[in-house]
Amino acid sequence: MGLTIAVGIKWVPNQQAVRFDERTGTLIREGVTSIVNPHDLDAVELALRIRDRYGGKVVALSMSPPSAVKGLEHVIGMGVDEGVLISDRAFAGADTLATSYVISSALRRLGGFDLALFGQETIDSSTAHIPAQVAGWLGLPYLYYATEVELDGSGRKVIVKRMLEDRAEWYELDMPAVLGVAMKSQLPRPVKLSNKLRLREENPIRTWSNAELKLDQRCVGLRGSPTIVAKSTWTPEVPRRRQILEGTPEEAARKLVEALFREGVLR
Amino acid sequence: MHMRFDVVVVGAGPAGAAAAYAAASGGLKVLLVERGRGAGSKQVYGGKVYSHYLEEALGDLKGAPIERWVGKERLSIVDDAGRTATLEYEGGSTRAFTAHLTKLAAWLVDRAASAGAVFVDEVRVDSLRRDPSGRFSGVEAGGELVEADVIIDAEGVNRLLLERAGLVERASTRDLALGVKEVVRIGEKEVEERFGLDKGEGLSWILVGGVTGGLPGGAFVYTNKDTVSLGLVLYVDAAARAIEEPVHSMIEKLRTHPALHRYWADGDVVEYAAKLTPESGYRYMPRRLVADGLMVAGDAAGMLLNLGYTFRGVDYAVYSGYMAGRAAIAARDRGGPTEENLRELYEEPLRRSRPFRDLWRLRGVERAMEGGDRYFRRYPALMGAALRSMFELGESTPSIYEALRGAAEESGISIIGALVDALMMARSI
Repeated sequence: MGLTIAVGIKWVPNQQAVRFDERTGTLIREGVTSIVNPHDLDAVELALRIRDRYGGKVVALSMSPPSAVKGLEHVIGMGVDEGVLISDRAFAGADTLATSYVISSALRRLGGFDLALFGQETIDSSTAHIPAQVAGWLGLPYLYYATEVELDGSGRKVIVKRMLEDRAEWYELDMPAVLGVAMKSQLPRPVKLSNKLRLREENPIRTWSNAELKLDQRCVGLRGSPTIVAKSTWTPEVPRRRQILEGTPEEAARKLVEALFREGVLR
Repeated sequence: MHMRFDVVVVGAGPAGAAAAYAAASGGLKVLLVERGRGAGSKQVYGGKVYSHYLEEALGDLKGAPIERWVGKERLSIVDDAGRTATLEYEGGSTRAFTAHLTKLAAWLVDRAASAGAVFVDEVRVDSLRRDPSGRFSGVEAGGELVEADVIIDAEGVNRLLLERAGLVERASTRDLALGVKEVVRIGEKEVEERFGLDKGEGLSWILVGGVTGGLPGGAFVYTNKDTVSLGLVLYVDAAARAIEEPVHSMIEKLRTHPALHRYWADGDVVEYAAKLTPESGYRYMPRRLVADGLMVAGDAAGMLLNLGYTFRGVDYAVYSGYMAGRAAIAARDRGGPTEENLRELYEEPLRRSRPFRDLWRLRGVERAMEGGDRYFRRYPALMGAALRSMFELGESTPSIYEALRGAAEESGISIIGALVDALMMARSI
């Protein structure tokens, strides 16, 4: 029997390759490849570890244009069992509310799952809304910064460890549950040739459009998104002073500390 | 999971994709493995492909991602002061096109997949495996083994697998060149207006001299549909000794060069890339191109010709890959891919082929170009000074001979020596 573990992944522009056009102030997306949001790979890795220990299957879901198939192929290469691409023009332009609504509807359509894992946040918007909102839509328990997951003896509950700045906490949650996985908490495994060959032979990726999900057009995409970007400003550029502190390392360090006190950086 | 194929091809560049296409077309079960994400994602080249061998291997170029057919060729010598002498050729028939290599490789891989090859990316092959008899019997990737009757190694210029298998020595810097390249977007209309091209027509432009700061190598400019590819090729050995600034600032200098920047002024740099390439294909060639159960194709086999005024790499790679794929089929019908069979079916025909004979015949050119300072700094200086006296007239009007003699004195070059060099160069080309 085993667990059904869903994991959400987002297909995002590779920020390390994105550059700014200084004249227009916009992103140069030309030639910029997309990648799976790196923090989602922590969630994928944790999902795979849970499956490897307790049995079952991992299903990756991504709401995205069709190019995200490459992202689903990547995580299937890591060992994910199935992929679901949630793709429809009607879903475009969504804020986190409309996105989490679509994703939670897709999770329902999976026909039962035990755990839904998400990365802590995405590198292209950093809201960390999605797992919390999905748990909200589905009325499920939710914990964020998760780093380790164990089943309790009954098999119906999970013990989840989460790391905060100054302490670790353990929670017991009823399943199904939704978890946000702490970024950099796992070491995502590399793609394996046998997994990629299975992908080519079995093609375990399904595509769901709104024809399958049948959601009210007013609740998805741009129309279903109440968020308004009212204003955006640039971070002011602080010119460097280029001061060089002379002397032995000890003297220079002392001068540096004094200067930081003077500026109010240290108190 | 037991994984077994008739043919495993390592590397989905032009050579690997062509090999997979040819072998799969002959009904073999083929696996094509690529380390990067997507076909050709580890590749960089200047920008121009000669079409002859692609058409021969593939039958047609239907759907190929061709940017422009080259209708104009330019060759420029630039001195350190930026004075430029250019030879331009047009009005002939087109034999080459410009293309983005990643797109071209993806197209070739699609052809291979349509023919039945299985393509897998994001998987790095760690080693070539041999069975106890010494025959190459498969590849290892991430701790997994795939068995194969025959392996086609098209891993590219950085041939770590062949090194590990003890088939080639570690590459010497003397045999390598470094290519750096930028793609600048200026728009389709601007490409045609600024370079004086007809609609859809392309330009191929090689520059030597001051563009590399006098270092052995050269610069190139190729026009794509709405972008321009520009870049430098530096001979690694010479560059490592003489280089005074990082290559990314050298390409910056090329882009802002007084004689050139107007061509792409106000454009957006949309891509930056760098890659090693064999400087001399012939010298880079492994002693043997086959072993029991193994064939080597493409850059890894040294299938690249550098003449200074033009380069042939992609078409030679496709050609060698295609030959290797065909040889895999022929070997099956002849008792298997033994070393002897592969030598007869792949290495010997390849050595008799036109590309290979040209690589041998023209091998002296690269040596000559290592003449270094003379070719890349002093002759451009001589040319600049001579043309200046011929065209920048004031009080007096020198004859060509007087202009040359004055320029020779100014740049400290003997005219006799220059003539001898010119003859030697002409003979080796």
